[in-house]
Amino acid sequence: MSLLWLRAAVLLYSIAALAVLPAALYDRPRWRRIAIPATIAGLLFHFVSLVETFSAAQQTAPFDLITRHESQSFLALLLVLAFLAVSLRYRTVALGVVLLPLAVLLSLEPAFRPGPETLPLAHSNWIFLHVALLLAAYAALLLSLLASVLYLIQERRLKRKLPALRGLPPLETSDSIARRALLFGLPCMTAGLLIGTTVAELTVGPAYFRDPKVLLSFAMWLAYVGMIHIRQHSGLRGRRAVYLSGFVFLVVLAVWSANQLSAVHRFTAP
Amino acid sequence: MSLIGKNPEVLSPSPVENSNVGPMLVLVGVNHTTAPLDIRERLAIPATRLAEATRTLAHQPGVREALILSTCNRVELLTTHDPAVPLQPANLAGSPDLLRFLHEYFAIPAAVIQPHLYEFREREAVRHLFRVACSLDSLVVGEAQILGQVKESYSVAREVGAVSTTLDPLLQKAFSVAKRVRTETEIGASSVSIASVAVDLARKIFGTLRGKQILIVGAGKMAELAARHLIEHGATSLLISNRTESRARDVADRLASQFSRTPISTTILPFDQLNDHAHRADILITSTGLGAQTGDQPGAPGKLITPAQARAFLDRRRNRPVFFIDIAVPRDVDPAVNALEGCFVYDIDDLQQAASSNLASRSKEAAAAETIVADEVDQYQQRLSAKPFIEAIKTLQLSAETLRRQELARSAARLATLTPAQREAVEALTRSLTAKLLHPQIAQLRSGIQPSENDQRSSLTPPPPVRIE
Repeated sequence: MSLLWLRAAVLLYSIAALAVLPAALYDRPRWRRIAIPATIAGLLFHFVSLVETFSAAQQTAPFDLITRHESQSFLALLLVLAFLAVSLRYRTVALGVVLLPLAVLLSLEPAFRPGPETLPLAHSNWIFLHVALLLAAYAALLLSLLASVLYLIQERRLKRKLPALRGLPPLETSDSIARRALLFGLPCMTAGLLIGTTVAELTVGPAYFRDPKVLLSFAMWLAYVGMIHIRQHSGLRGRRAVYLSGFVFLVVLAVWSANQLSAVHRFTAP
Repeated sequence: MSLIGKNPEVLSPSPVENSNVGPMLVLVGVNHTTAPLDIRERLAIPATRLAEATRTLAHQPGVREALILSTCNRVELLTTHDPAVPLQPANLAGSPDLLRFLHEYFAIPAAVIQPHLYEFREREAVRHLFRVACSLDSLVVGEAQILGQVKESYSVAREVGAVSTTLDPLLQKAFSVAKRVRTETEIGASSVSIASVAVDLARKIFGTLRGKQILIVGAGKMAELAARHLIEHGATSLLISNRTESRARDVADRLASQFSRTPISTTILPFDQLNDHAHRADILITSTGLGAQTGDQPGAPGKLITPAQARAFLDRRRNRPVFFIDIAVPRDVDPAVNALEGCFVYDIDDLQQAASSNLASRSKEAAAAETIVADEVDQYQQRLSAKPFIEAIKTLQLSAETLRRQELARSAARLATLTPAQREAVEALTRSLTAKLLHPQIAQLRSGIQPSENDQRSSLTPPPPVRIE
């Protein structure tokens, strides 16, 4: 049943992803009236689907496995949530041009090719929280990066005195989205890592710290904190802000894909 | 061109028919496309003389109603003519009365005006008026002033009693069409004036202007205009600096008095302290032209704002963006400042260019507006051509009712003995009899009001003659 909900959500996200194009790029604000309701409806279906999946997993066994598909689908949900929050708060749907197709792509595989492919992660409430918080931090970082890119595009257009693209948010709006997203992501990432560390310390012992993914994660946290520090204290904007966010995003991608190397995340460590 | 316009004699013979035929609408004029400026200048009527000119026009032979629209881009005479006074066929040599008016009123030989003159009648005149009111015929398509000018002309003509049954509803319709075009198309959406382009750009940078600090350097007219636009869009805090401080104070006073309802704060900044305070400004409007002595090349010495200064401002503002609106010629802000991250420098040429590219995008919206106008002209003509039929029905009913009463009055002596109930029965009987007798004729007239879908021209054929003996 949860698959059906997820497929409905993917369909609705696809509609929203298409409708957001004319709304943001061609200055056809009426398309907003399709994009936003479709996104909200999709989000509801998605939420129901995830709740069903997780409650089913809870019932079978407390230490059941969380699949890569599930975390992918959850990240998609967070991205859509971020898009909705930004479009309601800042009245701009420009971010949806990237976030919505991304959400479709992320949830496409879980929805239509559900396989037994599992990521060896122990499933407990704490581990769930660990994953959820880190995914929220990733979503925030992605949002921030996107907003910085929009800032860059708008800045270039203004500098080169090209006719304005109406769908692009004003510079200060993009900047504010980028900054707030980062500030939101930091506590999520910190708490997520702390929970992960504690759980690993308890289950694996001190050896966990030598795990590549764990080491990368701490590098990621440092990069994230450094980035926020630089942005806040020098008022970094524009090109350099994009480079900085882009760099941290690469680190995050590396961490995300480091499961192949991680013994802790496979629970094969002694 | 309607049938009525082409063949006025078709409708004129009987007095009853005459009341069914509307006066003929004629519009004669010159505009920026047909006449060079020197001709338009000679024909232009100043606002103070508009009332008198309109009155004179309305008193021309054959003219029933009159309205004059005189702006810097057009002079147009909109009149309705008595259908009893024959007019020549519509061409540029037509309307001798209007041509004579132009010739006599402006003392310009007819031969000089005539080649530049256009004339529209009936449906075409309606269409032209709608297009003018919607700013589709303007030099700057979509500009908003023209509607105000048409309204002004209309109110002058109304005051002197020159508009009534035909022009009054026509002008009202023109205003509503213009409103519809404004709401349904984006024809007036993009800014085409320098000051409004500056406001648009400021909003692209800052989103909202609320709480933004503006610094005006140099007390020029243009700078003041730009500041006024920014305040209208929410900016509330102004710093003004000028070499002659009293002029800065004048600008501050003028702005404060213009915006007496919105609390704006204006501060005069001594010119020599400019560098100490400029970093406070989010938007800098410069119009001193002090660079005149030192040339206008990037990196030229003596610019009011150099890249080094701009970098210092940015440091003090922690890289928050600054928008430089440089309307001085030669420029006050070194163009190299635009290369700094967070600095946006727009000079007068940039603003002008943005304004003209917005103009181009308006032409797209203009096509949609033309469709609306065509649609409205059709509707208006339909209603107009239904009018004689409605009038005819009314006349018919009135005549029948008069006849009925006369007949009853003639038989009054013979009916005197009737009881009130019997009298009531006779009333009802005669009423129903006349209604039934009239029914075929009225039905026929009504069918003329509803045009068949295949042939709209059927609505233009005149109603059948009404005869009640």
